[in-house]
Amino acid sequence: MESKTTSPLKRNNVKIFGKGTQPMLFAHGYGCDQNMWRYVYPAFEKDYKIILFDHTGAGNSDETQYSFEKYDTLEGYTEDLLEICEELGLQEVILVAHSVSSMIAVLAANKEPQRFSRLILIGPSPRYINDGDYQGGFNREDIDSLIEALNSNYLGWAANMAPVIMGNGEKPELGQELTNSFCRTNPEIAKHFAKVTFLSDNRQDLASVEIPTLVMQCSEDVIAPKEVGEYVHKNIKNSSFSLLKATGHCPNLSAPEETVEIMKEFLQKSPAA
Amino acid sequence: MENGSFNNLPEESAEDLYENAPFGYVSFLADGTIFKINKTLLNLLGYKKEEVVQQKKIQTLFGIGGRIYFETHFFPLIRMQGFVKEVNFDLVKKDGSVFPALLNVNQLSASKPGIFSYRTSVIDITDRKKFEKVLVESKEKAEKATRAKAEFLSTISHEIRTPLNAIVGIGNLLHKTSLNDLQKEYARILQLSSENLLELVNNLLDLSKLDAQKVKLEERVFSLKNLLEVLIHSFKIRAAEKNIELKTEFPEGLPDHLLGDPVKLNQVLTNLLGNAIKFTGKGFVKLEIDLQKSEKEKVGLQFSVSDTGIGVPADKLEAIFQEFSQASYDVNLEFGGTGLGLTISQKLLQMHGSELKVESEEGKGSKFSFFLEYKLSNMAPEDHRRTRVNEVMAQSGAKILVVDDNLTNLFIISQYLQEWKLDHTTVNSGAAAIDAIKKKHYDIVLMDLHMPKMDGYETSTRIGELEPNNKPVIIALSASGRGDVSLKMSRAGISVYVPKPFDPAELQDIILHFLNENSKDKPGEIAVSSTNPDTKPSPDNLSTEDGKGAFSLTRLLQVSNQNPDILQKLLRNSLNSVQRFKEEFTDAATQSDSEKLDDLIHKNKMNLHYIQAEKLADAVESYRKLLEDSEAHQRDLPNKKQEILHEFEKIISGLKAIKREDLS
Repeated sequence: MESKTTSPLKRNNVKIFGKGTQPMLFAHGYGCDQNMWRYVYPAFEKDYKIILFDHTGAGNSDETQYSFEKYDTLEGYTEDLLEICEELGLQEVILVAHSVSSMIAVLAANKEPQRFSRLILIGPSPRYINDGDYQGGFNREDIDSLIEALNSNYLGWAANMAPVIMGNGEKPELGQELTNSFCRTNPEIAKHFAKVTFLSDNRQDLASVEIPTLVMQCSEDVIAPKEVGEYVHKNIKNSSFSLLKATGHCPNLSAPEETVEIMKEFLQKSPAA
Repeated sequence: MENGSFNNLPEESAEDLYENAPFGYVSFLADGTIFKINKTLLNLLGYKKEEVVQQKKIQTLFGIGGRIYFETHFFPLIRMQGFVKEVNFDLVKKDGSVFPALLNVNQLSASKPGIFSYRTSVIDITDRKKFEKVLVESKEKAEKATRAKAEFLSTISHEIRTPLNAIVGIGNLLHKTSLNDLQKEYARILQLSSENLLELVNNLLDLSKLDAQKVKLEERVFSLKNLLEVLIHSFKIRAAEKNIELKTEFPEGLPDHLLGDPVKLNQVLTNLLGNAIKFTGKGFVKLEIDLQKSEKEKVGLQFSVSDTGIGVPADKLEAIFQEFSQASYDVNLEFGGTGLGLTISQKLLQMHGSELKVESEEGKGSKFSFFLEYKLSNMAPEDHRRTRVNEVMAQSGAKILVVDDNLTNLFIISQYLQEWKLDHTTVNSGAAAIDAIKKKHYDIVLMDLHMPKMDGYETSTRIGELEPNNKPVIIALSASGRGDVSLKMSRAGISVYVPKPFDPAELQDIILHFLNENSKDKPGEIAVSSTNPDTKPSPDNLSTEDGKGAFSLTRLLQVSNQNPDILQKLLRNSLNSVQRFKEEFTDAATQSDSEKLDDLIHKNKMNLHYIQAEKLADAVESYRKLLEDSEAHQRDLPNKKQEILHEFEKIISGLKAIKREDLS
């Protein structure tokens, strides 16, 4: 018997709001979910149609739709993103992508360039691992140690360790209400996504991007160092580069005002075609 | 104590409590810069305060994996929810060594809007991690041991089943010979005990599989009416033997074609009815079905089996579902059995998300009931009329293809098919099967799995590709395992798996099941025909003087239904294959080719099984092991080889010595 395919809107927990007509699609990065846009999107609600979603396997997406085969490359996520656009009939999309989603955005833009009008890439990296002259910032061993960290460091240690020892049926009586409520991901999926993210190499895909693109680079970002941001800028023809004062990897959370300001500036400078 | 003496105690400052708290404390800004840290944590890390405060960021205390984790998970979380509970990080000390710590983070109230800072408590969990590791390891070890036990149980049960089947078979045969009253009683006890033993072994096997979670629920279309009729027919006979009545009460409009697992339902009902009859001395046993829910696409059925038997004392009602427990020791003495049946039934129902319930009054009777939901199949219901199985089979016009590389097997199966009046063709290789399928359509294929060149899996897959829209039902027959369709089989398109040596009645039922499914336009209600036509008494001495101990003909007698003509053909086949085996063995032994020998062993497994030449089979197997073994034992090889050749000779001359007249 054929099983019904779930709608991409349900699968990816798609949320739509805002007063404008031009769609602004926000793609969250590795380790979190659509909640990470909470300090940014309100600034655009008045003028745009805001679309938020969770990558399959993250946040409140339909975890049953996750497959280790489909999501073994970023193409699986790209397909999802394009399906959401298709389902909603989105055109002239401003795609705002954080971290690993930047490369998902690049792949999506290369596959259906007519659909997108602007790309905003926050902390992009086409390749995290050093390769010859290219400095991605990490060695292969670093990524292995992240996987190791994910194995034991998972959020809510007691709540996660208890089932391992006591079996899945036993609900630990440890304050469930105190466990972390955002960005919860099935540990197995988190590990797989980490591998897919940090072992991907999308350097070849940058050159094909024709859409006006903004590269937003943080100061002191361990995940995506400045050189990497510059590399992305250099390899996307029609791109501008903006170095933020904000430090770390998530300016959308640590410095939302600065993030919003730079995004607005970019959107005004190059008005939609 | 004198009033006021508390005033003289030294004052404990908040600062003091902070610095010397049992946890480490560290406070940092949104970018990670540490602005406060307590002594406890400094001691843990081996740093001086001035080396850390405003010098280090919290993330630099983690290893690289932890740092990535901090940026991608930890930081977004504290920024969004203001706290993070229990994250396990490995902290790096000044000397480079690492210890596991549990971090709890809270956002501090902002001194200026937009400036965020956080305080983290740090607990050294080195000991906890050690305990955790030991705990997980011992858990894994225990689970592994349990699995190993379950596997052992399963293997040993399987090994016991084979000879036990023979004992049951011989018991049946013995019963049919002319015996005096005392001998008859002995034979009856032999039969009964061996059947009980077989049931016990089967139950053990089922239970070990359930415990190992190797049992899966299937979903397929089945006829509830067929299932009930077969069930009732067989239990009517058992009830009649005890002079009790088997009543049934089914509702009007009981749906017939359901989607679900008929094997499990049958197992539960068989068990409950068997128990009810066993524990009821007089009165009746009643199988009742109540249609409790009837929707467009599904039905809810309440099954109950009640009896007027000995009942279960109130305080034992719970215990009867536990493994190896019957209500009392006396019950076991009087009625036998293991009490595994109810446990198995309960577990099977739990797999369905249901539960077996019991009401009982001691001395008055018991009622076992359970509720199951089934999806309705959209297949049109059949119009049943009572016909005998064989007629249905004959009328079905079904074409059956039998594929087996072993000629004896082919012969035996075709004997049965002939008896059931089924139109069939036999082929002895996968390639020949493909050719046959290309020539004409078959409804059912009986497929041996282990064949040289193209095995049963591959042949089945190819057949599926040849006729994608009108695929024959493929029934696998194989000498290993016990009736579960493995993933490999279902991928190859095999619907059912019948273990060899097969029970003819079971094979007949299965074929019948598919014939019914295939021929809805050919109505016919089914009752299982009473087995075995009258058989001739078996010869007293089944093995000849020459072959004494080397082989036996009891099994061949059984499969030939004691028809001397068939038996003679089987004997001829066996003789030929043993002679060929001898030659091939000699070759393989001369070439010391253990792989080839392995092939030979497999190829001849069924042949030796039929003539019960276990001694030879064991000897060849141990020879193969010796070949694979280190050189140390290889000097034993020539002796061993002589022994085996001698054993071959014994069997060959023994088989040759059997006269036609010995067989009737």
